[in-house]
Amino acid sequence: MPMYEDRETIERVLNGDYDAFEGLVEKYQARIYRHLKKMVKDGHLAQDLLQETFLSAYKGLPGFTGSSSFSTWLFRIATNTALMYLRKNRPDSVEYDDEIRNQSNSTLPPISSEFVNTPLEILLSNEGKRKIEEAIDELPALYRSVIVLRDVEGFSLEEVSKIMDSSIAAIKSRLHRARNSVRETLTSYYMERNLSSDRREA
Amino acid sequence: MRTCKEFCDCISDYLDGDMSEDLCRFLEDHLDRCPPCQLMYQSLATTVEVCSQSIPAEMPDDVRENLRRFLREHCGQDSCEPKKGV
Repeated sequence: MPMYEDRETIERVLNGDYDAFEGLVEKYQARIYRHLKKMVKDGHLAQDLLQETFLSAYKGLPGFTGSSSFSTWLFRIATNTALMYLRKNRPDSVEYDDEIRNQSNSTLPPISSEFVNTPLEILLSNEGKRKIEEAIDELPALYRSVIVLRDVEGFSLEEVSKIMDSSIAAIKSRLHRARNSVRETLTSYYMERNLSSDRREA
Repeated sequence: MRTCKEFCDCISDYLDGDMSEDLCRFLEDHLDRCPPCQLMYQSLATTVEVCSQSIPAEMPDDVRENLRRFLREHCGQDSCEPKKGV
């Protein structure tokens, strides 16, 4: 069980084994970096926050109680570190304003068959992946982080609620909105792409 | 009587397996009868599927090396040592 493996490693770190800490860093650094880079949308800044996250984790390790997995605890530190930076430096980037939220809640979202009929190898081509990343990047940070934690990292709703320090209801609501926003962006993109291709063939 | 909008609003919960059995049955019955909602379900399911495979966990070598150096520099200080039972 990975959770127990981490427990043993954490014990070793607390007993002064720094190599064991480097093992934890090695295990989680790429995922934490991906999460931070998505949250702040800047590689250099993500690097600074990555260093801050692991330093905080090292200092705070004695406070890790094991009530959640180590990865949940670590992602919570990373998320808080990024949100603190964003709230201080880019407060408008964190949440939707109410006007946009109300508009989107009032009607049935647009649908079309082009997106679902596009083969997976095109959806997941380099261009397709870039479009998905752009669609995620358009979301405010609180929504972006929820969709990345749930759909990219694969954390459960309960784990995401612990990481984000929000209720499960709030997480579900943000996830619903984030997924639909990405879906709408991709739907529009593939509608336009098919139209362009039809025009070229005509 | 639920509207299509109400059904569409719970597709995300359905995909997460976070829905009561009764509501699941209502939704599945509705999806069988309503092509636009069926399309909405398929497009949201596709969105979740492609998101899960879209962003690889990669980090540049220099970021990895800088992190290693930074932590060795800062974690070696006495004030920073994690102490069991503190």
